[in-house]
Amino acid sequence: MKRTLWLAMVVTVLVVASLALVGGGTFAQSKVVKIGDLGSKVGVFEGYGKQATMAIQLAVEELNAKGGVLGHKIEIITEDDDTKPGPSVRKAEKLILQDDVKLLVGAVSSGATLAVMDVTKKHKVIHWNAVSCAEFMRTTKFHKYYFSNQPDSRMQANGLAKYILDKMGKRVYIFYTDYAMGQSDGRQFKTAIEKLGGEIVGVAGAPLDTKDFSPWFGDINKTNPDVLFVAFAGTDSLRLMTQLHSFGMTKKYKMAGIDCFLLQADLPAIAEPMEGFVQLNHFSPYNPDKDMQAFNAKYKNRFGTDANITSGSYDGVKFWAAAVEKVKSFDADKVSAALEGMCLDGTHVGRQCIRKADHQVVMDMHLYRIEKGKNVPIAKIAGSDSIGEPMVGKDPVEGFSWEIKKKK
Amino acid sequence: MDYLVAILLPQLLHGLVFGAALGLLALGLTVIFGLLGVMNFAHGELYMLGAYAGIATIGLTQSFWVALIAAPLLVGALGVVTEVTTLRPLYHREPLYGLILTFGLALVFREGARQIWGGEIRRVMPPVTGSTDMLGMTYPNYRLFLLAISSMLLLAIWLFFTKTRAGILVRAAVQDAEMLDGLGVNVPRVFTFSFAGSAALAALAGLLLAPIFTVYPQMGVEMILLAFIVVILGGMGSMGGSVVAAFVIGITQSLLTLWMNPQRVAIAIFGIMILVLIVRPRGFFGREGVLE
Repeated sequence: MKRTLWLAMVVTVLVVASLALVGGGTFAQSKVVKIGDLGSKVGVFEGYGKQATMAIQLAVEELNAKGGVLGHKIEIITEDDDTKPGPSVRKAEKLILQDDVKLLVGAVSSGATLAVMDVTKKHKVIHWNAVSCAEFMRTTKFHKYYFSNQPDSRMQANGLAKYILDKMGKRVYIFYTDYAMGQSDGRQFKTAIEKLGGEIVGVAGAPLDTKDFSPWFGDINKTNPDVLFVAFAGTDSLRLMTQLHSFGMTKKYKMAGIDCFLLQADLPAIAEPMEGFVQLNHFSPYNPDKDMQAFNAKYKNRFGTDANITSGSYDGVKFWAAAVEKVKSFDADKVSAALEGMCLDGTHVGRQCIRKADHQVVMDMHLYRIEKGKNVPIAKIAGSDSIGEPMVGKDPVEGFSWEIKKKK
Repeated sequence: MDYLVAILLPQLLHGLVFGAALGLLALGLTVIFGLLGVMNFAHGELYMLGAYAGIATIGLTQSFWVALIAAPLLVGALGVVTEVTTLRPLYHREPLYGLILTFGLALVFREGARQIWGGEIRRVMPPVTGSTDMLGMTYPNYRLFLLAISSMLLLAIWLFFTKTRAGILVRAAVQDAEMLDGLGVNVPRVFTFSFAGSAALAALAGLLLAPIFTVYPQMGVEMILLAFIVVILGGMGSMGGSVVAAFVIGITQSLLTLWMNPQRVAIAIFGIMILVLIVRPRGFFGREGVLE
């Protein structure tokens, strides 16, 4: 009996020791490279932040299944920035200085992304923006480590303004969310519509996360526009459309909105208020484009939900990994140089190329009309037509004024 | 005529709807000020807890109407516990003690709600849906319902304070609690009853406004500032004054948005309050000496 006990103890010790050796050996052998996923994971832009995380996850799973990048397993560190510039800067510094991330994807809110750009510039970290669209990112705030595949306000205005004037009406009211993104969209659309001969009959900004929009409705009704153009996003869009509809304004005015106005996943819940709404988007699961369909199938298979515009985060990881493999280094200067002008197949919208001058991905823009809760494609604007000239270091809003110029 | 019907009338209606709901919230605040001599900083959080209690009840019963009864009762019960355990020991001290206490209670309630329900925004579906076409405009049915029920509640409260013994006792306590005590009335019970009633009113306002403003832990902070302005304008401790001031603020705010950005209107409202405090510190109907 005593002998058996001794034997059992020896076997146990051997098993534990061998497991420790195997485990330790695996840990010692596996190399890890971290990437940061920063953005709004709760609150007004929660939907965008969470979907961006899913897109990053999909890219990382695909890359890790093929051995990672430069033999390193990729690990994602996700941080919520409270949709505010202050916390986003603190979290970005934490990701860079504490976690040593080699790529930072984010943020969601334009205000937060603009603030994070200073951090990634200072610490020389590759920064990929896949959601924010303020016009200063590839102009006055631009730096060599910053890249984007989100069409900014200027690209969106180039894509949508002409359609509005040709097909919807000449008298436009611009209602925007009063922070970096909405102000940027408001400025660029006002400029584009006036340049094309349309009339802006009114502009108004409502603070981010406004709960009741009805105080603004009187001014909109007073000007009686042909088109009500709305530059909002997230839960703001949901509330705004519900309230506009309950006041009969979605039927009274033709409506159009920006690229990130509403995620496809949120559309069925407010299908009736959104009926007939013209929205700019670079991705839709209802676009018959074969690349979009292929990506959507993959995304849906993994997460059980349709993909959307935040899937640009997927591309960010894939572009970075391709550049790292190309230069055989994680060094940000070398990776940045490799990314400039790089083209990549298999992104969420097929083949994409990064313009060298301002690190903006050249993307086709699609116009959709909402029909029964679905984004139905109605027009396509080539990326080369909407991207506009590079304006690195130049003020994209020089000479702009919110003043309403009345037409006789 | 078109301008009147299409522009002014809807704005006036907005003002009435918001004013009526604001009146419910401010009324409880002014009663507590009359009794305790301090502003109840936790009043906004009772408004917020009313909305959350409503969500919890709707989750259990699937009925907004049951929630409309349960939420004020639950928050009213919390009001009883709060008054007996925290406020009562401070009645014979300086009003500053009560002020600091209610400020602390506000933090406890707000962060407590965040711990229990999380920080995300929650939606409450309106029990009355659709819109009504009237006088050439379209107006949401829920907002019309809100105006009707808030007005009825304000009328009921007025009848309570003027026609019932309990209401008259509360008014007497507001006027002179010591005299009431001398007449043999159980004043601590009146205080407890009043605080619970005030909490229930705040909860009712919170749930009624939830389908429009959504529900989140900070919601009370945003509304309470406006309720304070209403109480100051109406006259500290004046119930009728608070109701009048609530409608004045609601309508003024709504009409001003026709000519200026609503964000600037908020500043204008504070400007009006400052002006009233300089010219007539007692407010529209306040007793002389309260703030003079």
